[in-house]
Amino acid sequence: MTSLDSLGTVLSTELLVVGGGIAGLAAAISAKEAAPDLDVLVVDKATNGWGGKANKGGGNLAYLDPEDDLDAFVEFRVRQVGGYLEDQELLRDFMSETYGVLQRVQEWGVTVFKNPDGSLLYVRWADRMPWRMALCEHDITMSMLQHAKKLGVRFVDHVALVYLLHDGGRTAGAVGFSVLDGTCFIVTAKATILANSNQCYRLMRRWASGRGDGIAAAYRAGAQMRNAEFGSFINWVFADTKEVCQGAEDVLYNAKGENISKAVRPEIEADVHSKEVVAWWKEMKAGNGPICANMAENYIMNVASEAFHSDAAAVRPLATAFWTRTIGKAMAASKKPGPMQEVMPGFIGEQSCVKVDHHMATTLPGLYAIGDTSATGSGWAGAVPTPPGRMRGAGLMNALWSGMRGGAAAAAAARGAKGDPVANAEQAAELKTRMFAPLGRSGGVEAQELIRAVQQVMAPVGYSIYKRQDRLEEALGKVLAIKERLPELSAKDPHYLAACNEVGAMVMCAEAFYRTSMERKESRGWHMREDYPDRDDAAYRKWIVAEDRGGEMVVSFEDMPADRYPIKP
Amino acid sequence: MNTVNIDRDLCTSCGTCFDACFVNVFRWDDVEDAPVVAYPEDCVECNKCELFCPVDAIAVVPDYDGIWWPQIV
Repeated sequence: MTSLDSLGTVLSTELLVVGGGIAGLAAAISAKEAAPDLDVLVVDKATNGWGGKANKGGGNLAYLDPEDDLDAFVEFRVRQVGGYLEDQELLRDFMSETYGVLQRVQEWGVTVFKNPDGSLLYVRWADRMPWRMALCEHDITMSMLQHAKKLGVRFVDHVALVYLLHDGGRTAGAVGFSVLDGTCFIVTAKATILANSNQCYRLMRRWASGRGDGIAAAYRAGAQMRNAEFGSFINWVFADTKEVCQGAEDVLYNAKGENISKAVRPEIEADVHSKEVVAWWKEMKAGNGPICANMAENYIMNVASEAFHSDAAAVRPLATAFWTRTIGKAMAASKKPGPMQEVMPGFIGEQSCVKVDHHMATTLPGLYAIGDTSATGSGWAGAVPTPPGRMRGAGLMNALWSGMRGGAAAAAAARGAKGDPVANAEQAAELKTRMFAPLGRSGGVEAQELIRAVQQVMAPVGYSIYKRQDRLEEALGKVLAIKERLPELSAKDPHYLAACNEVGAMVMCAEAFYRTSMERKESRGWHMREDYPDRDDAAYRKWIVAEDRGGEMVVSFEDMPADRYPIKP
Repeated sequence: MNTVNIDRDLCTSCGTCFDACFVNVFRWDDVEDAPVVAYPEDCVECNKCELFCPVDAIAVVPDYDGIWWPQIV
């Protein structure tokens, strides 16, 4: 009879956190605060505290001050951003708790910048936007890592956890491997938190760590997905370097010199919208390209400079050095002088569709999902890819807030478990065999080839931003053809083995995106259909759920408790 | 493909670059006790290795022209 020990290195813990980025660290710390003697283990595919996206972005934390008008914010958010698809109760919880989150992270050693009078220093993404952004430095996750270690949280680096174990219906840990030497790891746990990012399809460079491992692990284990159709976020990029061009959305010009932003976006809005991408696509189709951003008119670029870099009040040498080395090198390499710079949509995705309740519990007992793994699946953001959910600063704040909620809830679940879930060795052995299969295969297809094949389906605007039934069916057909090839994947070492498992996650997420997009026969928020241009509240003010049933992806509708929500269409 | 240059004369084998990489480009040579740029094709020029190297021994040279990009129109 197989024993767990015979399969690889066995680690036992009470609470397993998968992913040591900002959300995972917030959860681990919160779990320890709730139950100081609870054993908490955080496992990261790269390096705990260094990985993830939080230390590679703006360092902006969305919040409301206690004196701000929460009702006005919720009304703005629902009417102008999330398309009435928000879980309005969770949205209220989220934003009403943000100020407290900022106080709490300071107790963890995180620097949140302040004015001389002690009040929080903040910026707004644009005038009239009814939320504030506090500022932190790029060492936020490092500060949290040190605090977590002080509390006794244990960490393992460079182990990719791929499959979840279960005991009956209850999650019992995970199976994975060292990306360095290929050692198999079996982690047994009473409760598990997925905090390993969302699906960003590896195209846009700074989002390269968002590979959907946690989403796929949850899906394969039987967890429900929600809002998977809102997974096609873009940022505008410079055509020559593919570096982000903040604010291009408001200053797009076609080759005839006509402003194409004004027609779809007469005023400054909360962040990028898919409608500008559609306008770009139509101009390109009509032969009016290339499309340029007029940098001389770019208002947001100035805000971005204030929000991302140092100024007199918020001296952020790490953030400034990061932007100097990333955007700075790109600018230096850019060949075209002058204010008119060719831009295009850079597909990011930010598909974060693991469905969770208000405590970040998935539909599987003992399994939680936080941060980017469940940002749209939680429902607070409505009909937009999240983060940022067309709300700058929401990514970091959602990670901290959901980590705090999920960490406390999972700690309670681990403590309250009646009998420990048992990791079954036969099950672990089967998953190990499946996970390692590409390593032993010769002459198959390399992960890179299928990754690019998925990117060639997801990135075209006509497939993922401006949707139409025939194009969605065509795209799904291509995804399913790639899915057929997954059993041919081969890997020459553990690094490429990780890529093989990741491309499986990419295919799963792409399938969910297209199957759910086809069911939503309307346009709402970020989801734009050429064949159904209007919002249809009677039929589609509902959530769409995807799940695995016997190896097939099944899509269904979930009624939302709209009667309880104050903001109505 | 990006190039990640390590100045072996300056490198102190502190391991910061190995830790800093969020896409596992580096491996560690235990014999030489030194970082190895094992998977440069996965480098996405986040520049963290360069930024945090305490002795400025690393330089990331992005190859923007070499970035693969699908047809999106």
